[in-house]
Amino acid sequence: MSLKYRLLLIAGLIIASIVALYPRKVIERVRGPNGFTYDTVKRVPLKRGLDLQGGMHLALEVDESKGKIPDKATAIDRALKVVRTRIDQFGVSEPVVQKAGNDRIIVELPGIDDPRRAQDVVQKSAFLEFQITDKTQALEKAFPRIDQAVKQSGAAKTVAQAGATPTADTTAAAAGLQSLLSKDTTKKAATDTTKGKAKSDTAKTDTAIVAGGDFSKLIQQGQMPGEYYVAQSDVDKIDKYLSLPQVQAALPPGKILRWGSDSTSLGNKFYRPLYVLDARPIITGEYLTDAKPVRDPQEGTLVTFQLNNEGGRRFGVETAKHIGDFMAIVLDQRVMGRPPVIQGAIRTRGQITMGGKDLQAAADLALVLRAGSLPAPLKIAEIRNIGASLGKDSVDKATTAGIIAIVLIVVIMLGYYRFSGLLAIIGLCLYMLFTLAALAGFSAVLTLPGLAGFVLSIGIAVDANVLIFERIREELDRGKTVRTAVDEGFHHAMSAIIDSNVSTALTAAVLYQYGTGPVRGFAVTLLAGIAASMVTSIFVVRTFYMIWLTRSKSAQTLSI
Amino acid sequence: MLRIFHNTHYDFIRWWKWAAGITIAFIVIGVGSIVLYRPNFSIEFTGGTLMQLQFARPVDVGELRGYLDAAGIRGAEIQQFGSTRDYTIRAQESEKANAASTGAETVARQIENLLVQKYGSQNVHVIRTEAVGPKVGDELSRDAIIAMLLSFLVTTVYLAIRFEWRFAVAALIATSHDVLTTAAFIKLMHLEISLTVVAAILTVIGYSLNDTIIIFDRVRENLRKNRKEPLYDVLNRSINETLPRSILTHATAFASTMALLLFAGEVIRPFAWVMAFGIFTGTFSSIYVASPVLLWIERKWPRRTAAFQTSSTATRTSPTRRSPATATR
Repeated sequence: MSLKYRLLLIAGLIIASIVALYPRKVIERVRGPNGFTYDTVKRVPLKRGLDLQGGMHLALEVDESKGKIPDKATAIDRALKVVRTRIDQFGVSEPVVQKAGNDRIIVELPGIDDPRRAQDVVQKSAFLEFQITDKTQALEKAFPRIDQAVKQSGAAKTVAQAGATPTADTTAAAAGLQSLLSKDTTKKAATDTTKGKAKSDTAKTDTAIVAGGDFSKLIQQGQMPGEYYVAQSDVDKIDKYLSLPQVQAALPPGKILRWGSDSTSLGNKFYRPLYVLDARPIITGEYLTDAKPVRDPQEGTLVTFQLNNEGGRRFGVETAKHIGDFMAIVLDQRVMGRPPVIQGAIRTRGQITMGGKDLQAAADLALVLRAGSLPAPLKIAEIRNIGASLGKDSVDKATTAGIIAIVLIVVIMLGYYRFSGLLAIIGLCLYMLFTLAALAGFSAVLTLPGLAGFVLSIGIAVDANVLIFERIREELDRGKTVRTAVDEGFHHAMSAIIDSNVSTALTAAVLYQYGTGPVRGFAVTLLAGIAASMVTSIFVVRTFYMIWLTRSKSAQTLSI
Repeated sequence: MLRIFHNTHYDFIRWWKWAAGITIAFIVIGVGSIVLYRPNFSIEFTGGTLMQLQFARPVDVGELRGYLDAAGIRGAEIQQFGSTRDYTIRAQESEKANAASTGAETVARQIENLLVQKYGSQNVHVIRTEAVGPKVGDELSRDAIIAMLLSFLVTTVYLAIRFEWRFAVAALIATSHDVLTTAAFIKLMHLEISLTVVAAILTVIGYSLNDTIIIFDRVRENLRKNRKEPLYDVLNRSINETLPRSILTHATAFASTMALLLFAGEVIRPFAWVMAFGIFTGTFSSIYVASPVLLWIERKWPRRTAAFQTSSTATRTSPTRRSPATATR
């Protein structure tokens, strides 16, 4: 290849690199005074990884602890779509939502300042159901069976050690008998009306009047059908009982139990409402078309929602059947607010009360409702959260280290190889330009190990030049002319350069294939560095020599 | 022309027994210590939670530990990270937390809530949180091992093709030696084995191989030039001939690594340590592991002199001997 074409090719590479690295306008979502807006930002198109700009990395898996998910593969694909929609609406610049392997979703949110909120938005199942509260006292009727089941399971003793007196179940044999002897109900200080109601309803079957069972003694009647109160301190105990398979079998058929979202205070004690609901929801959130956060002077923050026509029709039919009943709005198995009474057929509009939560929470709930529910609950398998300040600090330090490394290399090369060292350093500058351009061109992500790999690859890139220069020196020692020595030097050094670089590149490729996150960034910079170093040392520096040789045709000595 | 170590004639190989003794002792101490005491794996591999915290004022470790213990987060490892205001807390998820579906990050939340409660939200700042479930950790360990073995395999095959099987085996043994010494170094330095450190080990493998290949390249060349010279002398000559290059390259690489070690901050420091040691062990193994092993293989399975110039695998498999011109291309 003639010198002219070589120079053209180098010029072309330099221009392409500058174009690839030229600061360009990027449309980004940026945080403004009124939330997130799109804006154009001018910057160098090099993507910085989370460890350099701060942000959150999440790996999510289908959570099967509360029951097997039958079709995991489709569940994860659908979950991916939902999470992506949510993140798009959440407003972060350059988010990453992708599938990793067969059963994991990776979410990367650069530059967020409230990781906890973001995590909630991603993880919330947002499964909305409307269920009618139970009017048939089904839970009271099931009390004897449940208490029996609790006792048989033997769990009462271990659970009761926490605080409650475990006396009753050891002395009395049958639950019915026990109820006559025990005065636990009155001790629990239920409101008079509650107690009266419970008695009148269960009077039909005497044995059903249970008060002293381990389960039933913790539960008292609430203020509407199907509502019960559990003292805040007993919530864990009840949860434990409910998780027992024997207890689950004893629960009233066709009904389900759900906790309320907020606790209420009666007297000076805090209670958590527990609702017994018809298991079949009259409608679910799949018909939802829109949801908005609203602040209401009377009811606090609300999320109003709208259903599509089909949903509205069904909702209308169902609610018309249940006029006068109470309807629980259940989100992710929690009853939101107090179930309202159905006063007439409801069609396409409704609202969810958020209790004391702020408007931000309402906005997030509206967001996840709009994006749709997750087909399966997700649990966090991995989370990395890097503050923006740490990221900036890392960039500054890596830059300092890089500059110092470069200065050291320049001193060594110039001091040892003089003029040839200068050629190598010009080559090295181009090497850095090419490497960064390659990273920008392949939109690789620059991470902290990546920066380290870059600094390191500068050191290794020098190796190719050193190999060539030492070869040229050897040829000169053998009495060859400058021109032949240069040619032979490049020629002989070639096999060593290729073999060593290819084997390093192979290692980097393996790292890329099996590495995750930061390590992958390292592999990418190493690969880009190796490619750029081969081009500069073999081709660019060679061309420099050719220029020098044509300009000083009678050169007898070479400064090397 | 400034020259160092020019035209030297050191008998490097002569000292191989001493070198072997030192390196084997080092490996035995290091690996023995790994066997006896658990190496320090990062939470990426073990699963668990890591938090980096910055306090507004200096905080006492004992005080911090007291709060964590009182809250039932036992066995948390608290380390100063730079100044007395910066700490990292490492905690393992308890079995119970794993059983419950709470996910990997519960402990982090618990600690954050606790510290905000104790110090006030203005005075404690969570800079970094990492939480990894045990399953992810297992996968990472598996991937790291696969990556290492695969890089061995790939480079060995490459060398077998470009050189011949003796060289490939010698290089493989030299590289394995580097992995062992690096592991020993990591253990003796009490460095935490994180993903970044694994990346550093793999870089060391690449670097060491690089160095071995440079010397072997010269051996290959010298063998072609002079078939009569015994391999012992060829090896020594090749090492001497590449000595200026080795010194200069290692000096520049070492300069870069030192810059990383001293100026790039805490996060990258373990990486820089491993790299710094890697440059040393890589150079050592090229001279004192790869070369003696090559010599030993040569003695055990001597090559037919006529096969020198040809790629050995080709000669062995083909019944008709190829002419040197075609085989050495």
